[in-house]
This record gives sequence, C-alpha cells and structure tokens, in this order.
Amino acid sequence: MDEIRLDSLTKRFGELIAVDQANLTVGQGEVMCLLGPSGCGKTTMLRMIAGLEWATSGDIWIGGKRVNNLPARDRNVAMTFQFYALYPSLPVEDNLAYPLFAENLSRAEIAKRVARVSEALDLKSILKRRPHQLSEGEKQRVAVGRSIVRDPTCFLFDEPLSRLDIQLRQTMRTQIKEVLTKLDKPTVIVTHDQIEALTMADRIAVMQLGKVEQIATPHELFAKPANLFVASFIGTPQMNLMPASVIDVGEPEPDASVSARFSLLGESISARVNQGVAALGSGAKVTLGIRPRSFEFANGSGTDSLHASVDLIEPMGAETLAHLIEQGVDMRCVVPSATHISVGDRVSVRCKTGQLHVFDNAGKLVG
Amino acid sequence: MSERREVRAIGQAGWGRTLGAGIVSLIYFFPVYFILMTAFKTRPDALAMPIKFFFSPTLANFYSVFWRADILGGGTTNSGFGLYFFNSLFISGTAVTLALIIGTAAAYAFSRFPLRGNDTYLFIILTTRMLPPIIAIIPIFVLFRVFGLSGSYTGIIALYTAFNLPFSIWMVKSFFDDLDRDIEDAGRMDGSSEWNVFRKICLPQIYGGLAATFVFAVILTWNEFLFALMLTGTETRTVPVAIARTIGGQVGVDWGLMSAIETLFIIPVVVVTFLLQNQLLRGVTFGTIRK
Amino acid sequence: MATSVSSATALAQQDQPARNATGFVGWIMSPERRGPLLVTPAIITLFVVNIFPLLWSFGLSFYEYKANRIAPPVFAGLANYRYVLTDPEIWIRFGNTAMIVVGSVALQLVVGFLLALLFAQEFPLRRYLLMLILSPMMLSLSAVGVFFKLFYDPTLGFISRFISLFTPDTFVILSTPARATIAVVVADAWMWSPFVMLLVLAGLVSVPKYLYEAAEIDRAGRWRRFRTITFPYIRSLLLLALLFRTIETFKIFDIVYLLTEGGPGSSTETVSVYVYRLAFQFFRTSQASALGYIMVFAVVVLTSLYLYAIQTRQSEA
Repeated sequence: MDEIRLDSLTKRFGELIAVDQANLTVGQGEVMCLLGPSGCGKTTMLRMIAGLEWATSGDIWIGGKRVNNLPARDRNVAMTFQFYALYPSLPVEDNLAYPLFAENLSRAEIAKRVARVSEALDLKSILKRRPHQLSEGEKQRVAVGRSIVRDPTCFLFDEPLSRLDIQLRQTMRTQIKEVLTKLDKPTVIVTHDQIEALTMADRIAVMQLGKVEQIATPHELFAKPANLFVASFIGTPQMNLMPASVIDVGEPEPDASVSARFSLLGESISARVNQGVAALGSGAKVTLGIRPRSFEFANGSGTDSLHASVDLIEPMGAETLAHLIEQGVDMRCVVPSATHISVGDRVSVRCKTGQLHVFDNAGKLVG
Repeated sequence: MSERREVRAIGQAGWGRTLGAGIVSLIYFFPVYFILMTAFKTRPDALAMPIKFFFSPTLANFYSVFWRADILGGGTTNSGFGLYFFNSLFISGTAVTLALIIGTAAAYAFSRFPLRGNDTYLFIILTTRMLPPIIAIIPIFVLFRVFGLSGSYTGIIALYTAFNLPFSIWMVKSFFDDLDRDIEDAGRMDGSSEWNVFRKICLPQIYGGLAATFVFAVILTWNEFLFALMLTGTETRTVPVAIARTIGGQVGVDWGLMSAIETLFIIPVVVVTFLLQNQLLRGVTFGTIRK
Repeated sequence: MATSVSSATALAQQDQPARNATGFVGWIMSPERRGPLLVTPAIITLFVVNIFPLLWSFGLSFYEYKANRIAPPVFAGLANYRYVLTDPEIWIRFGNTAMIVVGSVALQLVVGFLLALLFAQEFPLRRYLLMLILSPMMLSLSAVGVFFKLFYDPTLGFISRFISLFTPDTFVILSTPARATIAVVVADAWMWSPFVMLLVLAGLVSVPKYLYEAAEIDRAGRWRRFRTITFPYIRSLLLLALLFRTIETFKIFDIVYLLTEGGPGSSTETVSVYVYRLAFQFFRTSQASALGYIMVFAVVVLTSLYLYAIQTRQSEA
C-alpha cells in the first residue's frame, strides 16, 4: 500500500487560504499531476506532501503512515525543485550521491548507484562538472537523477520542465515518463502547462484558488470537464463558451440522452445532450461549451446549425484557426487547412454529435 | 511535537534566539554603553568602582562641553567646542561634497567610457586609499608649511577631498555599474545629448546611493585624527584632535566631559547608520561588495 | 521619479535638435575625449595631494636629510634602505606589528563569524540588536583609544577589575609586553569584528533558501549542510575580510599611540608609530621615508591580492 492520501487538507497563510479542503489519492505507480494557473495552491500542496510546509488542518498519509508531524527528512520523499537546487560547490557525481550519505551505504554501493543513474539519464560525460557549467537540460537531468538514485516512498516534481525550451521539453517528457513507469512509485507533478499534464499524467487534479476543481484522467477532463473553469483551462485553442437559454427538452432516450433545443445567438439550435439537462426546465439560463475542433461545416439549413461570418483566419500548419463572429460573439473554430474559406464569408457551422457541453447557472456541467 | 520545531529553523528563529543574541549584544555593547552612561554622571559617580548603574543623571557635562567654568575669576568661558564641532562639520561636509562631485564625474567615466588602462587606474586609486597615512604625512606636512596652508581651512579641505576621492569613486562606480543601460541607450537613440543622459537619466537613479556615499564619507572624515592633528591650527581644529588635547594638560581627566563630547559626536553617526542599514555593507567595503 | 524608456524618449524629444558643437568645446566633448575629460579633475587632485608628495618623499628616501636641520639633502643612494632593513630595531617593530595583526585579525574573523551565525536568521528585535553590535565601529578611533585606557586602568577600569577576579595580581597592561599586546589586540578586535560580521552575514543571507530545502529532503546532517552549502558561499567573503582587515591593521596607529604609546618600552610600538617617531621625534626624516616605503610596498602587494579576491567574488556571484 504505497499510496499518498490527502484528507480535507487545508493550508492558511494568515487570512489567505492557499489550499482549501483538498481530497486526493495517488496510487502506487500512479502519476498524478497538479495542474492550474499561478496562485492556485498546487505548489503549496506539493510542499505539504514533502514536509516543507505544515498543514493547517487535514491529514496527509504516505505509505499508510500519517506524516503530518514528520519533518521532511523523516518522510523519505524525493523532490525535484523548479530551480533544480543543485549544490553549486559539488560536481555532478557528488550531487547525485548526496542523498545516499544519509543511508549509511558503503562507498562501493554509492558509486554503483550513481553509475546506474548516470547511465539511465545519460550523465556520464558530465559527472565531473559543476552545476554552473551545465546547460538547463543537463541540470534538469541531474536534478531528476538525484531523486531517483534513492529508494523513496514517493516522487515529487515542482514544475520540472518549465525552464526548458520546447524541443527539450518534448524529449524530457518522454524520458521522465519512461523512468517513472519503471520505478512504480506514487508520483506527484506540479505544472501550469496542460500539455505536460495531459501527456505525462495518469490522472490530473485541476486546481483553482486553493480548490481542487476536478480529478480525472486526461481524456475525461477533456471530454467531460466538470465546470466552466476546467472546460476553459483544458484544451487549446480554448473552448468556446457562449451564453444561451433552454427552449425545451424532450423525453429521455434509452441511452440516457435527450433531445433539447437552445436559444443561442438569436437562433434556435437543437442537439442531443445528456439527460441532466432535463432538470433545468424551459427558459433556464445556461452556458454552452463547444470546442474549436467540435465544429463542422453544415450546409445552411438544419435545426442544429449556427450562422456566422468569418472575421479572422490564422493558419497553423496542418490546421487553420478561423475566428467566426455573430452578434458580437467571437467563436474559435479549427478546420483542416485545405478548407476554402476567406474573411467575410457567411458560413453555417454545427457542433458534432455528443460534443456539446451544457453548463448551468453555477457553472457546473449538466449535459 | 518536538520534530516540528526543527524544520522551522530554516530561515526563521524565535524568541529563544532573541534572548541569546540579546545577551551577546549587550555584552558587546557594554563599553559603548559605559561611555553614554558616563556622559550623564557627575564627576565622583563617573569613576566609582564597582560601576554605578543607578545614579541621578545630570546634564552638566553636556553644558560644560561648550562652556567651561573659568578657574580664575568665576563666570564661564566658551570652551571652544562649539567652534570645534562647527569645524568638523564644515571641513568634512565641504571636503566630501567636493570629493563626490569630482568623484562622480570620474566614476561615470570609469563605468561608461572605460579607458584602456581602466583597471590600472582603479587599482592605483584603491591603493592610494590603502596606504599608511604615515607615509604621506611627512611630505605633506612640509608642503603645507611651504605653501602656508598649515592651520587653514583650504589645506585640510583639499587634503580630505583627496582622501575621500578613492572611496567616492569606487562607491559611485558600483552604483553606475548596477544601472540598466537600456534606458540610457533609449535616450541616446532618441537624440538626447550625453550631458542630459547623465543628468536626467543616470543621476536621478543613484540619488540614494550618492546620499549613502556622502554620509559614509563624512563619517570616515569626521573621525579622522592623524592629519587633523598635524595640520589644523587653533582656529580650524576638529573634534577628535580637541578630545585628544583635552586629556593631556589638565589635572586628571574629566571623564564625564569626555563621555559627553564623544556622545555628542557619535549621535550623527548612529542616526545615519540606522537609516542607511541597507547600504551599510556596500559602504564599509567601498562599493566592492553588494548583496 | 520613475525612469523608464518612455520617459527617456520624452526627455530626448525636448533636446531636439541635437547639437553638433564645433570648435574647442566640440573637441573637448567629443566621444573619445569624454572619458579622460571626466576623469581628469580626480586624477589631478589625487596627484597633487597624494601622489606628488609620495613621489617626493620617495625621492627623498634616497637622500640624507633631517627636517630639523638647515643642511640640504645629500644624495645617499640606497643607504637609507640598507640601514632600515638591517637595523634590528626595525625588525622588532615589524615583529610587534605582526603579532598585533595576526592576533587581532584572527580574533576578528572568529568573533565576526560567530556573530554572523547568531544573526543569520530573522528573529524578533534583530534590527535593533544588530545596531548594538555595530556601535563599536561608529566610535572615533581616538575615543576608543582614550576610553580603553580607562577600562584597562587597574583601579578605575572595569576590564582590569574583571580580569583580576581570575588572576592573582592586578592586571596592569603596561606591566608586561604580552599584556600590552593583548590589550591592544582586544581593543582593536572588539572595534572591528562587526565589520567581519557584516561581510559574513551578507554571504549567509545570500544562500538561496531552496538549497537548504533540498538538503532537508536529502536528509543531510547539520555539519554536512554547513560544509557543502553554507561555507562555499562565505569563503570568498571571509578572504576579503581577511585581506581588508590585514591591510588596515597593518597600518594601525591611533589605538596603539593612545593606549600604550608603544610601551612598555617599545614592545607594542608598531611600524606606523615608529615611522611617526622617526620623523617627528628624532627627525630622521629620510630614514622614516625609507621605512614608510617599505610599508607601501607591503600594502601594494596586499591590495593586489584584495583586488584579485574581489574579482573572483564577482565572477562567482
């Protein structure tokens, strides 16, 4: 039972609530990402797991043990810091060996482990160098190496890739994921970059202003965002969120879906949505969420089409981002670049089946 | 629960530390405290052994700093210390101001228009400051006699200006070095003359640093003893020399008086050090270290 | 007054049209000459007041000259230097100075370092206690000399009284050379240890917090933490403190002169005091110059080391 468990974890700095009643579980071998914008509390949560901050209330369990009152050194966790925190006066090999000195191992054993790690992360050529002589990528590998050279209860990463350039990030993402899979320990990664989270995590906890908004697999987050915040945070380009109201809702079908009609941008749209929408009743104000790639061109008529004008076209290589505008509302729409559209065209688009998200007044997903 | 306290020690200590540091500080501060305390003591109290910590304070000593009882014939005479304090202020102030003006110009040049022998010049300037004053005393003493500068304001001010130049140059150069050059370049590209770049862009940013330099230099000059001893006359004497002269000659030392003089003398230094705490490190290392 | 690129632009627009001065002023103010121009007044002042007299007395050191006689200087070549370097009296003074320098600087480094450790973290009232520790540096040297003379007085001074609680006889500083030297060393070290503290403190405070956090995660012990993280940061500052204080203590004059006058006998007479005596008491002016220049040489060597240490420090930072 190697898991990490957070129970109603709260952290207060005076008046400020940095983490608010967070509940989280990370299983053995699972990679959990804490994702959110700056100031959402993800780093504070990580530091509480590490033992660098004390919890105001709530419990932290690591490996079945309640660790609230244990200082970091007694929790046997490994952490990779955002700024690497490599010891500047020591060469790479001593940096890697540093955590092992607390374990009373023989010199030979230490050397063996260091060699194994430097092999795995391709550090052999820089073992004798000092941190200030290394490139960002090399520093990052050494920082990761220092974490995996030991046998901790869990791995913690604080924005591991934020200081790398795009190319390097892609390489390191894969490398880290490989290493983590092999090690099979609970891992928590903090990041503000959703691509990182979506590619590296088994599950993601999306946070905002101290609250955990949703914990789900990357796919689920994408397909079924629990509220407006998650919906707009996940996915690039950003999901289109448009105010609308319910006209009427039909009878539920066997597959738990209903047919509903919405008033959106002066037009009436019909769509197949989840039966939760039925609870809203006619006239209810909702927000409709449609991802840019959920649009497809329709042929003008049809109860499910929207009409709009093309305002701006941004080529993105294999795809094109088209900005459509109707009644002052801007809609982002991604189409294959082969599509022929130009600025000023009047087009009609519709949302692909099953990809319409309905959010109620409070911003929660209903359909 | 005892484990919790250990981690907190990274960066923050509590009242236990205050107690320990407080004891050490008070012991270290004691000689200074003695001087301050004695300034308020009457003559017999001042020299009482063991030390009298509780006594009725008097301001008589401070009064006597400026006016002395005339031994023959009653009444009080001006002890001259008013003049000496004025001299100290005037001489230090003028010398440092001059040093800052000349030094800032030179510092700007060293920083923005480095010459080929820049490092050599700076080294020589630093060495000038580091030399034993003794070695300069002899020729300067003679030179002053020859040019009739002994005991005049001009001579000692010129000397102190030269003394403060190395310090000013190093300090102000360190301030110029820290400035963001992009703003100056923006000004230049938009057609500002060099003089305006200096006057309206660079200079305003270092006003704080100039003030700090001024104050540190005044403190150093304020306390200077050797050259003041040799080169000031009765009219231009500074306070440190007057203190030294006070102890010799009269019957026994009036420690209360001495303490009062030193207390008055130290007040500006204390006030200024407290206000300039942030610049303190840069000041005492001549601008070579900045946090 | 916020300085920014936009205000710089606004400022420049006031300047239009840019002047292209011609004539003498233009020649003076042209870019190549600007640097030298600004530096010149400083160089002139330094030269006239400092360097010229130094050169003059350097020249004088090669002549035989006594300031209290009317006889003109007589060329003597290296005679003064030869005399000075072979005179056992001189070597005694160098010895005295060396003892004071070593004693005081060592004490300053130790005490300053310990004080810095004490003040390394933030705690209540730290700012005010720090001022108390810095107060010795604010006293004028003459005051320190004069008052410590009182403190060491066998009957009236609290230091002597305090020491006699532990020793059989009363502590009179002029009774033995050792005691006089210790008295000077203690007074000087007391005054300047706060300086060392400031430097070491700057180093301690500049260590990034996350390094200590990483060490905590890595379960490093206290000694290990100090050795691998803290000490490298303060090493260069300690060196700077060492060199700077050595240069300053080497020149020591005021405290010695006022406290012991070089006594007992000449056991605490430092080189500076001796030069002073040679020049103004015995009027052996040219010998004083020669000795002075040997001091200058030592100082120049030390200053180069100091400058080297600064540059190393700045490249590290």
